[in-house]
Amino acid sequence: MPWKRYRKPGGNHRMTKLKIELMVNRKKRKIEITPSTRLIDLLRDDLQLTGTKEGCGKGECGACTVIMNGELVASCLVLAPQADGAVITTIEGLGSSDHLDPIQEAFIESGAVQCGFCTPGMILAARRLLEENPHPDEEEIKRGISGNLCRCTGYQKIIEAIKLSIARLSKSDSGKAK
Amino acid sequence: MEASFGDLKKGQKNCQRTVPCQYFAPQKIEEALEILSKYGKEIKIIAGGTDLLVQYYDRLYEVSAWLDLKNIEELKEIKIDQNQIEIGAMSTHTQLESSADIKRYYPILSQAASDIGSPQIRNRGTIGGNIVNASPAGDLLPALIAYRAQFKLVSHKEESIVSAEDFFLGPKKTILKFEQLLSKIIIPIPEQNTYSSWIKIGKRKALMVATVSLALVLSMAEDNKIIQEVKVCLGSVASTPFEIMEIREKMIGRQFKQLDFNELGQLVEDRISPIDDIRGTKGYRQEVTKNIMINALEKIQETWGQSQND
Repeated sequence: MPWKRYRKPGGNHRMTKLKIELMVNRKKRKIEITPSTRLIDLLRDDLQLTGTKEGCGKGECGACTVIMNGELVASCLVLAPQADGAVITTIEGLGSSDHLDPIQEAFIESGAVQCGFCTPGMILAARRLLEENPHPDEEEIKRGISGNLCRCTGYQKIIEAIKLSIARLSKSDSGKAK
Repeated sequence: MEASFGDLKKGQKNCQRTVPCQYFAPQKIEEALEILSKYGKEIKIIAGGTDLLVQYYDRLYEVSAWLDLKNIEELKEIKIDQNQIEIGAMSTHTQLESSADIKRYYPILSQAASDIGSPQIRNRGTIGGNIVNASPAGDLLPALIAYRAQFKLVSHKEESIVSAEDFFLGPKKTILKFEQLLSKIIIPIPEQNTYSSWIKIGKRKALMVATVSLALVLSMAEDNKIIQEVKVCLGSVASTPFEIMEIREKMIGRQFKQLDFNELGQLVEDRISPIDDIRGTKGYRQEVTKNIMINALEKIQETWGQSQND
């Protein structure tokens, strides 16, 4: 395999920087990064969007979930240059503090938030699921959030919150889900 | 600034970044091959990154240049004709799972893709990455061998086609050379009366690396009574995914009622060489392999039985 054992960097401190451009929460951002920067670090450190959380850093917990080009991705497993030209939605891109997204409201009302660490990822997974399938059954909901771990709620309240969101969104017309 | 833990982590990453690192994202295969021939061992090809970046951030290796295939549209196409399907190596598991052609002709490949990781992983992970990563537990691999897939390998000098069973040499080891790129996966269209079954055993439904997996593809002769061809392929029970060849002589040319499922299950159990690891013990794997072989045969017999009644 074409990789080398990790070696301590020697005297060479030259860093190759790349310029990338991406849309984050409907805003165009131009950023200089090193090629091995992860998308999650770009979002949290460079753009200060700390709603995206790092749990495992291996794509297993889903806390770092964001929507990239309309697809759910684990931002710890995307290199920042791979996101060049991409359209990204993080939890900050949903609703605002005085006007929450219906899914966020449903999570609060159902008591689906305990420690809150999984919540941003969970809400984005729910959002993506409902965009694709506005009326999922319980199995489909479970599959939709299967990449997101929650260690507090036992998932029941989260599933209830998503069911409540389904009702809310279908009442307020599908326009809002977009 | 955040707490010191965050800074410490950031510091580590920075120290890793001080090694000069280059990044290429060409639009054409030819350009990618050119870069590959120039940098050779120094460059790491990245597709979805769902395996690679986990290993990278565990610091298993240092990367001085990345070759990202994301802009090469040609590698994302799935094309079908009367004889075969060609799946671009950059097709994601989500694409495999949702492709109508794959569902129709290669149902267990579609199922295996839908059993991988989580939505987040399936959206990024690719069939080519799954193959080249060459994990003994790679989810698509038993199905690919069972469907007699072939891999097209290209380099700046030449192209070659190898069959799936000759590609894997050991855990994470393949015949792929540094200057070569896996460009597509070619699978012949199965015969009319083909039945298949995929069973993956693990500890949970999502984000689970298989403890044992089995792909069985069986085709009947024209009369739909006599078994004409069969392939039983297993994952996670040897150093590579592989086919149990001995099954063929026990099944080909016979009818279902002549088969002893227990004996066939035992035969499979005797031919595997599993190890103890965090996902399961050797003994557990042997027992389970036998049982899932029997289950797969029963499932296929049932589907076949229904087609007889129609």
